[in-house]
Amino acid sequence: MNTHQAELDTRGLNCPLPILRAKKSLSQLTAGEILQIRATDPGSVKDFEAFCKQTGNELLSSSEVGGEFIFLLKKQ
Amino acid sequence: MAKRLKAAERRASILAVAKVLFADKGYHGVAVDEIASRLGVSPAVLYHHFPSKEALYGEVLDTLAAQRESYVDAALQSPDDFGSVLLRMTLVFASSVARDPDYLKMEMLSTLEGAQVARQFFESHWKSFSDYIEYSMRELSQQNAVSQINPRTAGLMFQGMVREALYAKCILHSSRYQSTHLPDLITQLVGLFLNAIQYKE
Repeated sequence: MNTHQAELDTRGLNCPLPILRAKKSLSQLTAGEILQIRATDPGSVKDFEAFCKQTGNELLSSSEVGGEFIFLLKKQ
Repeated sequence: MAKRLKAAERRASILAVAKVLFADKGYHGVAVDEIASRLGVSPAVLYHHFPSKEALYGEVLDTLAAQRESYVDAALQSPDDFGSVLLRMTLVFASSVARDPDYLKMEMLSTLEGAQVARQFFESHWKSFSDYIEYSMRELSQQNAVSQINPRTAGLMFQGMVREALYAKCILHSSRYQSTHLPDLITQLVGLFLNAIQYKE
């Protein structure tokens, strides 16, 4: 299981807020560190795929438990 | 007899026909049987792809909206201050509506038809803007970068302004705004909005 260095709670927020907050959180990490993001917007799955494609960060995992989404992003 | 189509093609054809009918008659004005009959298939074929009329309507809304990737792209470009992100996202939204004005017809009809369908519209499209404005203004007001206006009311002002511009340009083709291109009109309106909330970068 991946350990993470930072957490971001975007539950209740809709696009573009989760990705803007993720961008800000990642800017405070160093390369190789992992950010865990929690979200409730079902669209966030596609959003974080697009986010990683465009920013070059790595989407390590994307999972859903009871309507809540958890993403692990590794900073490039 | 209807030609046999692959699942993805069938799904796309159902969405295309449903969109036209929903835009003409509204959610309540269209029966599943009518969509099936236009396609030359049985209602069971529709239910195979979409569990209910409501689910089908929701999917039509999603396909009409701009691709989420375009919004992510608009949000991530520089400069990334509130005003610039809001403008880019609004331009993405406006261009998607201009490409497919059936979206606006569906929205107008949904407003007349009832709260549930109109709420679905709000949740699918306008909520992103309203939430973005509301949360950002709360943060910006702490830095005195916007005036002390109720952020929720500001979101409503923004929504009304943009929607009216889209109606005038994409549905009514109003001669009054004919000489102004939609992106220019949207840029001017977003500028007015930012002035109204006394936004300072």
